[in-house]
Amino acid sequence: MRTEKIANRQMGFMIFMLRTTFVVATLPVLTTGNAAQDAWASALLTLLATAIIAAGIAALGARFPEMTVIEYSRTILGKYLGSLISLGFLWLFLHITATDSRLYAEVLVTAYLPNTPLLFIVCSMVVLAAFIVHQGIESLGRLADALIFLFTAFVLASILMAVRRLDVANLEPVLARGVGPVLSGSITAIAVSAQFIGISMLVPVLTAPQRAASTAVLAALLIGLVLIMAAVTVVGTLGPELGSRTIFPFFLMTRSLELAPRFLERVDVFGTMAWGFGLLMDVGLFLYCGSRGMSQFFGLRDYRPLVAPMAVVWALLAVYGFKDIFEVLALFRPEVIFPYITAILFLPFLILWAAYLIRRL
Amino acid sequence: MRLFKNFFKKKSHSNFGDLKDDRLDISQREALEKDLFLVPSLEDNLEMLRAVVGPSTDVITRRLRVGRGQIPAALVHIKGFVDTLLLERIASTLTLGMLESPVGSTSRHTIFSEFRDRLAQSTDVKEVDNFDDMWTNLTQGHAAVLFDGTAKALTLNTQGIATRQIEEPASETVIRGPREGFVESIETNVSMIRRRVRTPNLWIEQFTLGDLTRTQVAVMYIKGLASEELVQEVRQRIQRIKIDGILESGYIEEFIEDNPFSVFPTTFRTERPDRVASMLLEGRVAIFTQATPFVLVVPMNFFMLTQAPDDYYEKLPIGAFLRLLRVVGFWMSVVLPGFYVAAVTFHNELFPTDLLISISASKEGVPFPILFEVLVMELVFELLREAGIRLPRAIGPAISIVGALVLGDAAIRAGLVSPPVVIIVALTAIASFTVPTFSFGIAARLLRFAFIILGGAFGLFGIQFAFLGVIAYLTGLRSFGYPYFAPVGPLILSDFKDVFLRTWWWDMTRRPFLESLREPVRAAGGQRPHQSIEKEEKEKR
Repeated sequence: MRTEKIANRQMGFMIFMLRTTFVVATLPVLTTGNAAQDAWASALLTLLATAIIAAGIAALGARFPEMTVIEYSRTILGKYLGSLISLGFLWLFLHITATDSRLYAEVLVTAYLPNTPLLFIVCSMVVLAAFIVHQGIESLGRLADALIFLFTAFVLASILMAVRRLDVANLEPVLARGVGPVLSGSITAIAVSAQFIGISMLVPVLTAPQRAASTAVLAALLIGLVLIMAAVTVVGTLGPELGSRTIFPFFLMTRSLELAPRFLERVDVFGTMAWGFGLLMDVGLFLYCGSRGMSQFFGLRDYRPLVAPMAVVWALLAVYGFKDIFEVLALFRPEVIFPYITAILFLPFLILWAAYLIRRL
Repeated sequence: MRLFKNFFKKKSHSNFGDLKDDRLDISQREALEKDLFLVPSLEDNLEMLRAVVGPSTDVITRRLRVGRGQIPAALVHIKGFVDTLLLERIASTLTLGMLESPVGSTSRHTIFSEFRDRLAQSTDVKEVDNFDDMWTNLTQGHAAVLFDGTAKALTLNTQGIATRQIEEPASETVIRGPREGFVESIETNVSMIRRRVRTPNLWIEQFTLGDLTRTQVAVMYIKGLASEELVQEVRQRIQRIKIDGILESGYIEEFIEDNPFSVFPTTFRTERPDRVASMLLEGRVAIFTQATPFVLVVPMNFFMLTQAPDDYYEKLPIGAFLRLLRVVGFWMSVVLPGFYVAAVTFHNELFPTDLLISISASKEGVPFPILFEVLVMELVFELLREAGIRLPRAIGPAISIVGALVLGDAAIRAGLVSPPVVIIVALTAIASFTVPTFSFGIAARLLRFAFIILGGAFGLFGIQFAFLGVIAYLTGLRSFGYPYFAPVGPLILSDFKDVFLRTWWWDMTRRPFLESLREPVRAAGGQRPHQSIEKEEKEKR
């Protein structure tokens, strides 16, 4: 069987798209942490932290250019402990995507399609993703290439058009309440950088695995930039009060924009489309990671037979895993998500790094 | 077993008597004919010919007596395949020429080689010893000469097959550019390319496909430029074809394409020699088929479909603009009706208030939902289009009258469809005609219906879903192993000089990246023309 390869650039695009989408979609996480008008500072902090996390995940992967995280955790930590850690990662793949697709479906249902069942929207996205993943990771990489321009254009357009309505008064006073709220505001945003775990599954299919870390960091920086811009424009146009109270502030912001008055109004659909692109990347990538990881966990040769059953589990978890949108958002409270992600991702990776370095000595 | 076979084979030269059995089926006949060898006796050979071709009146045998030894001979040809003048010259050589020349008294045993080496007035002469080869040559416009006493035949090229005149292809017209199009003769078509690409490294490989039609198929590429794996792949896929007949390159296309369910063509077909030549120069492989003007080129990619030949011949700014217009036109023809349905059904807020009011007002009194309206009008348009192609030219205008007056005007007056829908359908139709490749238009036509239905059922989410589905499908598609959606997915920035726009020829210094990895450089750099001011300076001095 031919081994599939994707370019580092393609991985960068994938990560950029899915992360940007998530950041834009879940921007309230910045404001629920009380950062209010200093959301941009939280965003800056997030940028730095995610760059480090991305580098940490990718660099360890680059030490094992032939293996995914599922494989090298066994190599480093032995069969049992390694398996335990990889089980956590596998769960994470599942959980991230389920949460993301639920959020997306909620927005669509609330804003556009009030009579459409959630299950339908989630299923259509998951089915599309499963189709792509079945074609192979190369196909997903090429899709990322094909969509990146349109996606970036949509996101940038949403942000840039908002700049006109930006009110600087909303961003003042700067750091009036000290760094405490800024720190607490960035906690969730840092925790959701757990999505970078996808890189650890992609390293072995990269054309240049040794440069995985620099690709990841570059992507993280670009995402951080978008995050800062989004934070500034959202708080600047909506004000800290409304910005922190709405469920999807970025979305609310784009809703208030007009592309060309008297011709096309309500350009938020384009923002939502960009979100759709990103979500497809998200579901596709983690469906790949999940099924590939699962196949390696159980020692299967090919991951493709697992795609369809995993997709079913995915869709069901997204729809029935949460009661309503508030339960999803409750997951993003700093006191919930940070320990969760730490336990399942940050700590295992620290252990892996430590064990790796000790073995090297 | 082998002994038995050899025994059978040796005997086979005289078993044409079996062919007179009417109960033989075609495959049995074909198998027997494969084993027929020529024998020394002229009478036997001619009788064998009669047994094989039966009463066919176009196979013409002219019996002669050659030279002073009055050696019996025969000149065989197929009517309509040969140039009569050439044939007459051969006949006169055999009769008069032999009598007058010093070799006229050659014996029965050496006459064959004498004729072959000294008298045959043809540059393309082949010697065959079995019936099958002789027949193949006859069907290629050769004439066969058989002498009594020699178990061989000499075939001489006297080709003179009547073909259509070379004219401009109807399906691919250009404003600026050569007006030549391929015709139904593979020899003419191949020579048209040879005239454009004169390097001896333009290689042509010949295949015969179809057990009964025995169609000639030629694979053409530039040796050393086209990737060897690609050529090997094309060769293999063509050799795999086992069928009774190939009547058009469409048959071959279906056998060799990568994905049979794809609505997008994965082999490029064209009638224009200049396009084939330009693709050969990019390292692609062309497949010619006898008796059709459509030539296949592989590998193809999505963006070749929006390129028209004029783009490369016309001045750059307008060429680039038109290219962009066509790309927009294609996507418009796919998405527009679906988008309209989605917007009217689910997203009224997308329209400014005034426009929304006028749309709603026009919908007043129309009894059908918008989805149904658009679907029906699109179907009607497809009907008109198909009818327009099939109609005899003389009554063509009738269909446009029916279409414009009866279906357009009357339907609106009767309140069956709203005017905006007619505008949308008309816009879509116009946009779809900008696509320069017919086979691509087909994809757009089919996809349009999917977009309409999804847009009508799920609004813009449906449109987005369909769009993502199409893009995902396109990025997964391959043509002979080459990614179909390149250079956009996978992203190859160096190829962007010729995708949505094109840049000047002096700037396109490289061939498409994937197709010509072997020899990427096409033109030397630094050839940008500058306005010369030297002359003026000199005059001033």
